[in-house]
Amino acid sequence: MARIYQVPSHTRLWLALAVVLCSIPQLVKGPLWQAGLLVLVILIRWLVDQQRLTLPGRIVRTLLLIGAVGLTFYSFGRLYGPEAGVALLVSLFALKYLEVVQQRDAYVVIVLGYFVCATALLFSQTPGMFLYVVLCMTVLTTCLVGINHSDTRASGLLHGKRAMVMTLQAIPLMVVLFLLVPRVAPLWNMQVGEDKARTGMSDSMSPGQISELSESAELAFRVDFQGDIPPRPQRYWRGLTLSHYDGRTWQQAVPQGQAESEYLYRRGNQKPVWYQQLESRRAAEQQRYRYQIIAEPTQRRWLFSLAVPFPLDEGMALAKDMRLVADQPVSQRFAYRVESVPAATDAISLDGQERQLMLSLPQESGRKARGLAQQWQLESHSAREIAQRALRHFREQPFHYTLRPPRLTADPVDDFLFRTRRGFCEHYASSFTFLMRAAGVPARVVVGYQGGEQNQLGTHLLVRQYDAHAWSEIWLEGQGWTRVDPTGAVAPERIELGLREALENSEDGRDVLDDLGLRRFSDGGLFAKVSQWVDYVDFRWQTWVLGYDSAFQSAFLEDLLGVVSPVRIAIALIVAVAMLMGLYALFLLWRTGNARLTLMEREYWRLHQRASERGRPLAVGLTPMQLSDAISEQWPQAAVAAENWAKYYQKLHYDPVSAPDKRQRRHLRSLRNRLYKLLD
Amino acid sequence: MQLPAPIRDLYERWLARRLPPARQIVLDRRRIFILPTGYGFFYLLVAALLFIGGINYENNLILALSFLLASLFMVAILHTFRNLFALGMRNGDSESGFAGEEGALELVLFAQRRDHHCVWFRWRGQDGQQISIRRGEEESLWLNLPLTERGRVAAPRLKVESRFPLGLLRTWSYVSLDHYCLAWPRPEESLDCPADGGKENQQAFSSGQPGNDEFQGLRSYTPGDSLRRVDWKGYARGRGLNIKQFEEPVGGRLWLRWDRLQGLGEEQRLSILCYWVLQLDQQRQPYGLELPGLTLAPDTGDVHRWRLLDALASYPDY
Repeated sequence: MARIYQVPSHTRLWLALAVVLCSIPQLVKGPLWQAGLLVLVILIRWLVDQQRLTLPGRIVRTLLLIGAVGLTFYSFGRLYGPEAGVALLVSLFALKYLEVVQQRDAYVVIVLGYFVCATALLFSQTPGMFLYVVLCMTVLTTCLVGINHSDTRASGLLHGKRAMVMTLQAIPLMVVLFLLVPRVAPLWNMQVGEDKARTGMSDSMSPGQISELSESAELAFRVDFQGDIPPRPQRYWRGLTLSHYDGRTWQQAVPQGQAESEYLYRRGNQKPVWYQQLESRRAAEQQRYRYQIIAEPTQRRWLFSLAVPFPLDEGMALAKDMRLVADQPVSQRFAYRVESVPAATDAISLDGQERQLMLSLPQESGRKARGLAQQWQLESHSAREIAQRALRHFREQPFHYTLRPPRLTADPVDDFLFRTRRGFCEHYASSFTFLMRAAGVPARVVVGYQGGEQNQLGTHLLVRQYDAHAWSEIWLEGQGWTRVDPTGAVAPERIELGLREALENSEDGRDVLDDLGLRRFSDGGLFAKVSQWVDYVDFRWQTWVLGYDSAFQSAFLEDLLGVVSPVRIAIALIVAVAMLMGLYALFLLWRTGNARLTLMEREYWRLHQRASERGRPLAVGLTPMQLSDAISEQWPQAAVAAENWAKYYQKLHYDPVSAPDKRQRRHLRSLRNRLYKLLD
Repeated sequence: MQLPAPIRDLYERWLARRLPPARQIVLDRRRIFILPTGYGFFYLLVAALLFIGGINYENNLILALSFLLASLFMVAILHTFRNLFALGMRNGDSESGFAGEEGALELVLFAQRRDHHCVWFRWRGQDGQQISIRRGEEESLWLNLPLTERGRVAAPRLKVESRFPLGLLRTWSYVSLDHYCLAWPRPEESLDCPADGGKENQQAFSSGQPGNDEFQGLRSYTPGDSLRRVDWKGYARGRGLNIKQFEEPVGGRLWLRWDRLQGLGEEQRLSILCYWVLQLDQQRQPYGLELPGLTLAPDTGDVHRWRLLDALASYPDY
């Protein structure tokens, strides 16, 4: 049977364009052979269209298919899973394009195109990618218009225009659906990126680790404050508390014999005693911060927040050491809302087992440090005084803040405190906590981020990996866990201004900044402005589009509708869609294309209308001369003026050589106005 | 698919009530139906699959994509509908034929408001025709009509259909134009000429040779004159189109009479009359026709022949 190509010629180019555009996101990150396959397919198709080649038969196509499957297996080691699956889909897409003969095949290609677009969004969710996908959708729609337009002389460009108009009309509807269609919980669990490397900070701390983090300007998380933003020196984003020290590494620890249910409070569970105390303290306290954090994926369960956090969303728990724990490792960007009450720290008690843990030290290390601490303990009256002595020690002895500390040998505590005296937050937090414990003050190390850069355009803060920080908390009677940042004693600018500016001002800092490529962030001017804008758009995209989940949706709908009930949502949805569709219907169906009058026609109708209003209604189909006669019949005094008008009108309107210019039209108008005065 | 007869009857009656025949029809809201095509359902399925994918991957952008597909579908409803909306149709010419053969009806399509692309016109049991009409223009469309029986054959209900622009939806309307085609009687050969007058009834044509007519003169051609009487030689010499006029023809005036075929069935009478109309026309013999309630004076020429054939076709309601 002869294979007749039924896709009209004015659509072939669009179809090829659609195939290429939809495939590009995958081709960019996929193996090179995929691009080769697509080029081959396009080339064959082109030769077929030029009638220099017949369409490849079944055998060739089967061989190509086997080849694509084989290469996919070769490149990915399997045929399932997101990456391999998408690669296979894109290859099939190209091969299906190769065998397009009938209109039906073209339909299949277009549907495959929709899926290919969707998979592109699986791996990248930037605003740019979404715009690109909408562009691809427009081209696919253009193909649909083209294959349904069987006039051979139709113009391909008009298809594109039509598709663009339809897409533009569809977008407001899409927004309505996006906002109002209820978000359902996943039917089954699918995760992309389970096997990705964990980023961000690790769950233990030993010298050297945080300095690696500081070298990255990657985003850690963003914070959107509702209301006040705490001043920079107060912005300590707590992530983990480290309570166990083995002489080299600080690690997380839970007091012996404590069950998770006692230590973690999850909403809806039974409230442990410490949480009840916290809650009553929260109710009494006025100063609080409400904010939403959009965390970048870390593949870890801990979340960042200011002390003392109260989660407002589901999916996380509050631990007794005043930090939040997610139910699932954060494998995608994760948004959560928190209310922090800084003063509530004094509501948490410290009982026997826990106090022991917070005082425990390894037997072997830090002999000299212990001696120093015990001396302070003897000379002081309170824990607070001990801490102040320790901070004064850091300030007065020649300690230096540097991102490139010398290596510490056998006993890191003594080595740092009495020999090198050069280090960054980790070293100071670690040794300060050690000293405190040795002096009998319960203490722990807290790791997290400090500071955060405020976007000039919005209320949100950007916290980057180089804001990673470590500090201490000590237990003071009556005050509870109190934050002490020994780094601030050595390098106050690190806390006041942030790492970047602290480095700008320090002697070796500039080199470090150059090495890290961080400097461009501090450059003012256009680049900084643009990057702030880019970040602002990205942030809003994160919060409003990607973060628009069921919690956000119900909050939004509550603002919109008052009480949220399924019936109300359904009504809102129907009303909004109906209104938009009604608007379009009005615009599309009752708009007559050429109802616009020309200037001369308007001139005529104005006089016609005026004469009809003042006297008897006039017939519609009058020539200018007849109109003039009709006027002079009713108003004999206006006969001359009417005839002047009609003659001049005819002269202008029926001039075959040139259209009336501005001056002539003005003269005609004045003739008409003169005539008006005579119509009484 | 055939529906059971009672339901079909009901449906037909409902359609006839809803879409009464008229000489001119502009498709309006009431006349246009719209439903998704098979591909449209498939498309919605794809949108639903993407929705489920978006839910499961908790990917708002895939959800947005599925909503975009659904929105495009909704917008397409309006655009597809619009492609038929305000399309005008009116009766055009008709081409009659003998019963058992085919006639044709002309449909004049006019677009006052906008272009209408790729509209299909189809009568039951026939291949459709596709046409695009540009705004402000008229297009004419000839549709063949099988003529099964003598008489007026009314235009069957016409289906106007369009899938433009996306092929996701099919919008259609049934148009009953108050238009008909005349089916002339099928000529039935008979030796007896049912005619009066002339010199000799039966042999009227044996002596009725053109050369025997007495040439009287020329008059200028008017449309409808028989082409056989055009003075072609004179036309070739550049004297213009003229018609040769003859004096009283040899055969004399013939009257084909209904009454002379008594004892035969009506249809058969008409068929015989039809046969003789054609025969006499070939002989260029002036002939008239007398039917119950209608008398057509003798004359010759194409227009005359058609008039007689039409009279035979529309008997008894001329």
